[in-house]
Amino acid sequence: MKLVKQPSAPIMGFAMSLFFLLVYNAGIGGVGNLEAFGTGGYLPFVFPIAIISLAMGSSAGAGQTLNADMQSGYFRRLYLSPAPRWILVVAPMLADTLSSLFFTMLLLAIAALFGVTFQFGMLSVFGILLLSLLWSLTLCGFSAGIMLRTGQHQSAAIVTNAVFPLLFLSTTFLPRELITSEWLLAVSWANPVTYILEGNRYLLAGTSPAEFFYFGLLITAVTSIASVVFALRSAKRIKI
Amino acid sequence: MTVEIEIRNLFKKYPNGTEALKGVSLDIGRGQFFTLLGPNGAGKSTLVKVMTTLISKDSGSFSISGMNPESNPAKIQHFIGVASQENEIDPTEKVENLLVFQGRLFGLSKAEATKRANELIELFQLSSERNKKASALSGGNKRRLHCALALVHRPQILFLDEPTVGMDPLARANFWDIITMLNRSQGVTVFLTTQYLDEADKHASEMALIVGGEIHFAGSIASFKKMVNPDGDLSLDDSYLKYIKSLNNNSISNNNEE
Repeated sequence: MKLVKQPSAPIMGFAMSLFFLLVYNAGIGGVGNLEAFGTGGYLPFVFPIAIISLAMGSSAGAGQTLNADMQSGYFRRLYLSPAPRWILVVAPMLADTLSSLFFTMLLLAIAALFGVTFQFGMLSVFGILLLSLLWSLTLCGFSAGIMLRTGQHQSAAIVTNAVFPLLFLSTTFLPRELITSEWLLAVSWANPVTYILEGNRYLLAGTSPAEFFYFGLLITAVTSIASVVFALRSAKRIKI
Repeated sequence: MTVEIEIRNLFKKYPNGTEALKGVSLDIGRGQFFTLLGPNGAGKSTLVKVMTTLISKDSGSFSISGMNPESNPAKIQHFIGVASQENEIDPTEKVENLLVFQGRLFGLSKAEATKRANELIELFQLSSERNKKASALSGGNKRRLHCALALVHRPQILFLDEPTVGMDPLARANFWDIITMLNRSQGVTVFLTTQYLDEADKHASEMALIVGGEIHFAGSIASFKKMVNPDGDLSLDDSYLKYIKSLNNNSISNNNEE
């Protein structure tokens, strides 16, 4: 309902992701002719960045639902109801995760219109959506937990600010084979975002090995479980 | 007197070192209209927040209707209604929808919640605002809506923390008509904090005075007035001011002696 009534925030996040996707492709898409990018070109290579940044945009609000309720004071009204406290946390997390998923589907549709191929057809689509779901849940959970423990709706930005650099300390713009910086390569191996990026690339143009997808799935499954547990435990320590 | 709210030796200290409650003990009887008075920062809102489980106490105990709210906060919410100092309204939702949703949160069916919402809209004179978003309401109407939301589930006990701030005189009169009706005809226990002492004087019968986190007086309003001015008849406002000033003077004298 929030998405319908207050679409501006998630739409802005979607628009920004789409904007960067188009700009990156337009600006440096020519490198896609290099062999390391496979036959799909640069767009399927850079597309996963849009998905990851879209989820980050959703979590910064952590979503936006919990954030808005805390700002308006309505969260206190909900807290003073018989509703179990864990629901006050899980419901907005799920809402924002699903919002992120919806826009991911839109991005996928736009990507398909631009000729991006899906290596395994609908299975690729489901795989990308699953990675996106788990990544969004990870960020939403940690953002929600931090907001609840601090009582400050602005603190949701901590997660975004912490995760944002990870987006660039990875194989974001170039495949591993073309990265010449040893330190960046080393850091990218330890960066969970790398496995989400490469996992998506496996599902799109097949330019990465399957192991990245499975590792990405494992990592995001673990982090999403950890974030949900963190958020639920934070529900017991809510600071009003 | 059947004790509805029992508070024993409550202590609460905030992380910044402020001791908001220092051994507060009170008994509030069922069906009483009780008011807690005190200067700014005395601990009034902190006490309300502790009793409504918004914040936890450091030590001491309290019970509401014989139940420990901290062990079962969800259950206690059915018995209490809270209208705190700040408005707690979703600005994106319409007035009617907010009231219906509040009813649904408390277990009312859709039909019951809608009926109750209509009753409260009539009672709080919000009929012309029912389809407006909360963000579009005037400050006074937001307060009315905020207070109406506290009554959706027909609570036995009402915690009103400076409820009429921002209301115009007509809205305040209407609000007190509703609260006194609930108290007198339905036996709802009212726990009020207010800086409008004329309201407390007019509607409440029992009071406590809290200063610096400690209870200085607990009893009837009449006995407080008598205590402060044995020979005369002062209003609650004047009695309170006289008492607080004497406290401050004693404090200054003690500091000078030191």
